[in-house]
Amino acid sequence: MKKQKAVVAAALWLATGIAGAAETAAPVCLIAGWENPPSVCAAHTKSIAATCFICHGPNGKSSAAIPGLAGQDKAYLIAAMKEYREGKRESTVMKKYALGYDDSEYESLAEFFAAIK
Amino acid sequence: MTLHRRDFLKYAGAGLAASLLARPAFSATSGKPHVVVVGAGFGGATCAKYLRIWDPNIQVTLIEPSDKFYSCPMSNWVLGGLRTMDDLIKSYDHLPGYGIKMVRDSAIGVDTDQRVVATQNGGKIAYDRLVLAPGVEFMTDLIEGYDAAEAAGKVTHGYKAGPQIVLLRKQLEAMPDGGVFVIASPPPPGRCVSGPYERASLVAHYFKQHKPKSKIIMLDGHFDVVSKGPMFKAAWKKFYPGMIDHRPYNLVTKVDHASMVVTSEFEDVKADVINIIPKQRAGAICGQAGVRADTAGVWCPVNGVTYESPKVPFVHVLGDSVASNMPKSAHVSNNQAKICAAALVELFNGREPDPYPVIGSTSYSATSDHTSGPIAVVMRYNPNKEAYIRQPGGGASLESDEVNFEYNKAWFEHIWADTLG
Repeated sequence: MKKQKAVVAAALWLATGIAGAAETAAPVCLIAGWENPPSVCAAHTKSIAATCFICHGPNGKSSAAIPGLAGQDKAYLIAAMKEYREGKRESTVMKKYALGYDDSEYESLAEFFAAIK
Repeated sequence: MTLHRRDFLKYAGAGLAASLLARPAFSATSGKPHVVVVGAGFGGATCAKYLRIWDPNIQVTLIEPSDKFYSCPMSNWVLGGLRTMDDLIKSYDHLPGYGIKMVRDSAIGVDTDQRVVATQNGGKIAYDRLVLAPGVEFMTDLIEGYDAAEAAGKVTHGYKAGPQIVLLRKQLEAMPDGGVFVIASPPPPGRCVSGPYERASLVAHYFKQHKPKSKIIMLDGHFDVVSKGPMFKAAWKKFYPGMIDHRPYNLVTKVDHASMVVTSEFEDVKADVINIIPKQRAGAICGQAGVRADTAGVWCPVNGVTYESPKVPFVHVLGDSVASNMPKSAHVSNNQAKICAAALVELFNGREPDPYPVIGSTSYSATSDHTSGPIAVVMRYNPNKEAYIRQPGGGASLESDEVNFEYNKAWFEHIWADTLG
């Protein structure tokens, strides 16, 4: 697993002269198998979590029949996604969604929603 | 497996690279970036709101001619008598609370060199980034007689909520028992492909209760019931046997409102109530801004990371106007809006935007007053292929049921709250 490419990408990014880009060639994180600087992973988590709001309510706070995600236990959310994916848990659309995301995203999404009070 | 993507500037497209390198992205006057959003639908309102939530340093102006939000989702429920018009009308009153400047006006032109939007009332609004989310424009000139028939109040498209839905509902109420209702839908791509089939279902629900000898003829430009086909066909057989006559490959070319005859490539159909959904293209402002840049000059190609036009720097496009393999739905418009807003926040702050945005698309259709069914698909952007790739496992339910009817209602509440609340 070569990590150089992402480092080069980050350096190129900095070399474009954008002010305020504080991160240097920092540890690499993975999104669906792609290598990235950590700020990219944070942006990705924010973006995919906001996708969930459409059905589950803004910030994962439900006001209707689709269950909320905000404040749920992190381990519970991860386990639920894995069970949806494997068909061990009944669902209408969640199996289709679970198949579209990977384990690292289950984890970051679960952490995001668990942290909302 | 570890994957490596090309460096950011290469895949982000010429417009984006130019916009990063050529000049500072912030207004000279305030030192704060200014984003102008055109259109306060599911795309535009969501983008404006999330720009402000994610970075209060960004100034956001939202241009919208209507004083209220009219929801297309649920409009078929009004036609079927499940809901009233009041249920479709939502307030914009929460948006200024996010620090969004609302301008009640229509954008009529864009100077993409000077980066200024012109409005109907004579306004000139300068932008650092422009987000166009105007929805669709109907190509009514493709159907002979359509404009005159619509002007005479005899034919509706009913594909923008508002007065057209009110009129169509009145026409259905006035229709005698034993009448014929024609729904004509265009070939893809266009707004909400499943909409006409839901419309047929819910109007059939109304006819079944109040005028059971009536018929619905669907003149469909598609080759089949292309969205949720097995689900709709099963529901029509179960709930409305013999009432809905679906005729595929039947593109409408002409309408004569004096004789109330609809003409397709194959036949003339006499009707009592006529609903024709014409082919569509990206909203007029997209044409003025020069971003209707697909081969047919109809839809707007965009960079999948930022939703910036590859043709015109600093101009982004959201929602139904986008040229893509994504469904043209409220859900997708809201999702694209957040991806665009998140990317703009990262760019204005000198960081790299999420290079692998994910679009989730869920669309519910009701088949009666107590049953609905969903289609759901996840699409992930692949930066090396520069395209959104459909993930395996997505698709439509084969049947509609009560559980999904409850989820359908919840979906309405949540997407409205997420867009406007």
